[in-house]
Amino acid sequence: MNELSPLQLILNASAAVQFVMLTLLLLSVVSWVMIAQRWLVLSAAKKGVKNFEHRFWSGMDLTQLYKEGTEMQRENMQIVGMENIFRAGFKEFMRLRRQESVHRDAVMEGAQRAMRVAYSREEEKLEKHLPFLATVGSVSPYIGLFGTVIGIMNSFIGLANQAQATLQVVAPGIAEALIATAMGLFAAIPAVVAYNKYSANVDNITGSYITFSDEFSSILHRQIHSD
Amino acid sequence: MYNNLDNLVIYNGYPVSIIAAVSFHCLVLAALIYFQANSRMDTLNLVQPTVVKALLIDVNPQVRNQQNLERQRLERLQQQRLAREQELRRQTEAELETAQAAAEERARQQAQERQRQLDADALRRQQQAENERQARLEAERARQEEERAQDEQTRLRQINQAREQERQRQQAAQELASTEFELVQSATALIQQLVQENWSRPPSARNGMRAILQIRMLPTGELVTASITESSGDVAFDRSAENAVYRAAPFRELQTLPINLFNRNFRILSLIFQPEDLLF
Repeated sequence: MNELSPLQLILNASAAVQFVMLTLLLLSVVSWVMIAQRWLVLSAAKKGVKNFEHRFWSGMDLTQLYKEGTEMQRENMQIVGMENIFRAGFKEFMRLRRQESVHRDAVMEGAQRAMRVAYSREEEKLEKHLPFLATVGSVSPYIGLFGTVIGIMNSFIGLANQAQATLQVVAPGIAEALIATAMGLFAAIPAVVAYNKYSANVDNITGSYITFSDEFSSILHRQIHSD
Repeated sequence: MYNNLDNLVIYNGYPVSIIAAVSFHCLVLAALIYFQANSRMDTLNLVQPTVVKALLIDVNPQVRNQQNLERQRLERLQQQRLAREQELRRQTEAELETAQAAAEERARQQAQERQRQLDADALRRQQQAENERQARLEAERARQEEERAQDEQTRLRQINQAREQERQRQQAAQELASTEFELVQSATALIQQLVQENWSRPPSARNGMRAILQIRMLPTGELVTASITESSGDVAFDRSAENAVYRAAPFRELQTLPINLFNRNFRILSLIFQPEDLLF
């Protein structure tokens, strides 16, 4: 019993502490899955914003841009973020404009509504899983602490049964209990960092979506009133 | 423009993420195990705590008396042996002397007799015989001497063997005692703690006072008697010590001790009461 390794401690821990550790491990793995997945999604969205803005302001005809998107959809490629907003707004605008009876303002209103809906969908996509990361970040230290308290409680109960209290009696129990806290922190720290970074990123991206939809609706407005 | 990788990421972000997360955790775990295996845990080598010295000094008269008796017995045996040896030596010497004296006497008488009757030839023959006998006696004495030396040697060897056996026995006893020692130690500490908790010292107690109390206990931990064997000179102090023991009894924890251990260490126990924390 001279050599104490963390692995040995984990394997020898009491059932409650082991359960807590297992929970924390699962939380950590799942939160890392979310971190990686969000990273991929958000970086793709950022790149999508940059690409689409470049194409949009390159002076290309809007109908041409819309047709390109349709081509891409036919090739089974995903259309992301800003382009979705553009497509929703433009589609609605064109459809309403074709009907003679509809007033200009109603056309504008319909296009804006369609863009708003598309925007909320995109935002929803971006913010998915972020609450989970926040929960892991704030809760897993408490779960670890819970495990530690139970572990230390057990080791003190063991100590109470001993006539002569030595360090050897309590030390393994406390070490094992502290592993639970360490695991809690290990799960929480990346989750909190990722949550903060990703929510800032999401704000950034949604901000550019809003700017774009305003700009686009002003273009549509100009177009509908120039006729 | 979009490329295929982006498309894949959007559709299948999860498998990649899962693989990344699991491999990250495996990596962390592997690193932990690796560093743990490589780091020498010198700093964590737990030092065996020194046994806390009990304030009550356990002078067990039974054990000490036994030891004293044993020592006295050994000394007595040694002395007896020495005395016997000397006696033997003296006896053999005396025997030899008397034998010699008797032989000489006889020789002289015979010589006188023969002188009275016989001529010089007979005298010479007589003297020759005398010489022979003396030589025989001499040989006899040498033989005896040798035998005694041999006896001495065998006895020395026996003594050495006995000592060796004694030493081995003591070693074995010590080994046994080291496990028993802890039991005794913890029981002593318990008694000490209980007595200390119940001891209220009178105002007349001074540093340097010392009272020894002999208590007799039953294996159930009950106190039979407690008597002062060495008074501190202060009646109130003595009484406070006595009261402390009566109040602390019974020591139920002694029930768990093996009976031979109890008999050896706790049936009669002397407690020393000594205030050491007073200012004056």
